[in-house]
Amino acid sequence: MIMGKVLYYTLVDLARNRSVVAFAALVLAVSEGLFLVEADPVKALLSLVQVMLALVPLVSLILTVVYTYDTHEFTQLLAVQPIGRRAILGGRMGAMALALLVALLFGLGLPLTVHAPGTTSLVLLVAVVLLAWVHTALGTLIALLHRDKARGVGIALATWAGFVLVYDALLMALLFAFSDRPIEPLVLPIAALNPIDLARIAIMIRVDLAAMMGYSGAVYQHMLGSAPGIAVALTLMFAWIAWPTLAAFRVFRRKDL
Amino acid sequence: MDSIIFSGVGKRYRSLWALRDVDATFRRGEVVMVIGPNGSGKTTLIKCLLGLVRPTTGSIQVEGQVIGPDPGYRRSIGYMPQISQFPPSLTIGQLLDMMRDVRGLTPASADDGLVEELGLAHQLDKRLGALSGGTRQKVSAVLAFRSRPRILVMDEPTAGLDPVSARTVLDRAAALRSEGGTVLITSHLLEEVEALADRIAYLQEGTLRFLLPLNDVLQRSGTDRLALALPKLLADPV
Repeated sequence: MIMGKVLYYTLVDLARNRSVVAFAALVLAVSEGLFLVEADPVKALLSLVQVMLALVPLVSLILTVVYTYDTHEFTQLLAVQPIGRRAILGGRMGAMALALLVALLFGLGLPLTVHAPGTTSLVLLVAVVLLAWVHTALGTLIALLHRDKARGVGIALATWAGFVLVYDALLMALLFAFSDRPIEPLVLPIAALNPIDLARIAIMIRVDLAAMMGYSGAVYQHMLGSAPGIAVALTLMFAWIAWPTLAAFRVFRRKDL
Repeated sequence: MDSIIFSGVGKRYRSLWALRDVDATFRRGEVVMVIGPNGSGKTTLIKCLLGLVRPTTGSIQVEGQVIGPDPGYRRSIGYMPQISQFPPSLTIGQLLDMMRDVRGLTPASADDGLVEELGLAHQLDKRLGALSGGTRQKVSAVLAFRSRPRILVMDEPTAGLDPVSARTVLDRAAALRSEGGTVLITSHLLEEVEALADRIAYLQEGTLRFLLPLNDVLQRSGTDRLALALPKLLADPV
């Protein structure tokens, strides 16, 4: 299958890509460092969650955007071969997703297995991998929508800042403004607007630590229960992978290269 | 016999027409030089043919098939781009394997003659990111000829190549013509390529000013060199 060929060779290229290797090493260093510094594995895990929920989306977005721009000429060369554009984009996005998966299994999965084996670590790993894939899809879409690399990187950074900083501020403002009304039912769809919040909810429901759960996490647990809350949050993350992926395919199919 | 037919092809980027109403026919067994100043539409013309860009108006036929969503027509086309950027961490050998697989070639059906002729045989384990611009251009030439195309599109093919390699690549293009292939070349190095050209397509501001046999261009202008003929011909439109 042509898509498989494109995926395989792109993966071979990414396996030797310094940025991907550096990302795996950074995640490993942070994970190991936190477990070494903090004697209590649960506390180390909670610190790790906070770091990974900010770091992984940022690096996944920037890596994907930069790689997509840097390989534009090669994408053109592939696009003049007798193969469909779906195979090209599918292979390249799949390879990036796999490369990030391997980097996270190595950098995060190994320390978790050694220092804090269990279901919580598994939920953390799954949530972080899904986050990486969400941002691979978003990064690809951003790079396809904007020809200029600087603009694309800027929009990627703004997207990340929106999820990490602006969203929380808006949510707090909303809660404050409507503090006299029952807005719990609204929190579910609002949380679905931010994949990073969804990942945090899935992990914190599992940890069951009220102080770290946040308002949206508490609502999820209260309204859905623990296991369904995690399942809904992770399922919504798949939707966050699906829509930018489908949009990227649609844009790439018609794009002038 | 006609190989490529452009019928009323135009391409608009926002409000700018990069190509306007181009009607042109390219035949089998000929080399056509596509020339014109920067921004004249040469690259857009080539990109339309290769399927990289969708024409805003008109249609293109390649060997009787109107270009559409089906990428199969590109099986007959080899392309040598002006700027060859490859995945930096792959080796030359891996890239050749990849493109062979992608095009559905077998080791027996792939034409690897240029690998030897351009001196790449002993460099197959070298990473593409470590290659000079000239060597990348050689790799690009190998890829263009490898599938034994019936149509060859070369964008500034000799840029960055040493004279011997440039000669080798142009000789290959000439051989393809004698086998009945169609070769389209864009180049600013007129002297280097005009010896090969049968016809000249001149583009200006997105419009095809003329598509004439090289001899006609030279005769009409009363010179024996294309570089001298063009200004005279453009001052006295065909």
